[in-house]
Amino acid sequence: MTHDDDRSLTQALEAAREAGRRCALATIVSTKGSTPRKVGARMIVDPDTGLVGTVGGGCGEAEVIEAAYRVIETGKAQRVNVDLTDDLVSWSPAVCGGVMDIFVEPVSPERS
Amino acid sequence: MTSLHPAEATRLLVEVPERGGSVVVSTVVGDNQFTGNRIALIVIENEKPELRGSLILESGTDSAIQLMKDILENPHSSDGLHKLTVADQSLEIYIEIRRPVQELVVVGAGHIAQPLAHLGALLGFQVTVIDDRPEFATQERFPSADKVIRADFSDPFRDTPLHTRSHVLLVTRGHKYDYACLIRALQMDPPPAYIGMIGSRRRVRATYVQLLEEGIAHALLDRIHAPVGLDIGAETPEEIAVAVAAELIMVRRGGTGVSLKGVERIVERFFKEDK
Repeated sequence: MTHDDDRSLTQALEAAREAGRRCALATIVSTKGSTPRKVGARMIVDPDTGLVGTVGGGCGEAEVIEAAYRVIETGKAQRVNVDLTDDLVSWSPAVCGGVMDIFVEPVSPERS
Repeated sequence: MTSLHPAEATRLLVEVPERGGSVVVSTVVGDNQFTGNRIALIVIENEKPELRGSLILESGTDSAIQLMKDILENPHSSDGLHKLTVADQSLEIYIEIRRPVQELVVVGAGHIAQPLAHLGALLGFQVTVIDDRPEFATQERFPSADKVIRADFSDPFRDTPLHTRSHVLLVTRGHKYDYACLIRALQMDPPPAYIGMIGSRRRVRATYVQLLEEGIAHALLDRIHAPVGLDIGAETPEEIAVAVAAELIMVRRGGTGVSLKGVERIVERFFKEDK
């Protein structure tokens, strides 16, 4: 995560909080093998404004977005394991060959 | 104390390093009653370390703080998962660390400085541009620079104190200005993280002759990256800026600067043609 990434995430989280919206924050907490993004990469899923940041795009990210919607609905954090080892020659987007462990947490608009 | 809100935590990750401090944020990511709880440890030189938020029960806070301090003290530590044992319970926590922001000081506000300032900002440097000409040292010419300063090259770093997080690039319009700034940067103790000076082989040699004549220790010459940048055949100001930026990354991350194709040799190693 670069300083600018941290900055844009902060702005997005604060905007959601000020607008009173619940959103979800996804963080790659560990990886194995080759993955498009590394530990620390983050994405905010805001049902109103969409995505800020990326955890690597493609099918893996779609799984995380799905989980994020569940997390926003239930208010309960979740761990998502994204497996990109599927089929190295299938030309699917999931050909990086690694596994990502992602923590997806609800971000409430209330002051904690 | 209650848990730190994610927005407040990421704000600390931005603001503390900008103030020259370090910050560690711990988040419980294992599945238990503390999941999502956050605590931050802020360490700024000459200030008392500060805690924000809470992680777990009172009994576990001390061991969490100790773990965060250990991580901060290890210069090689990076973001990742850790285990914390509290009252026979093993907790999985995710720890993020941010160190003081690195600075890029571009001396000279000419045509190479412009793409350099952009790339420097893109790479996460706090960028300062210095020139003695007011019409060149303008924020309009350097929209991504944090500071644009007009200063005489006889005392270029007066308003921009250099330290061990500074990366100094000398790209002024004239050899004599580069030299005046170089000698000041070289005499810094402790030295800046990086000193780069633009110039042809001839110009660099002439500079070194002059430095030695002025009594600068031979060992100090090795601190200077000159000619500046990696050898990628750069010609335009933009290309030169990329070559310099690549060198800055190499210094930061400890790479070799060699093409990965040549490092990995995948064809040679795995796809040898049968003869």
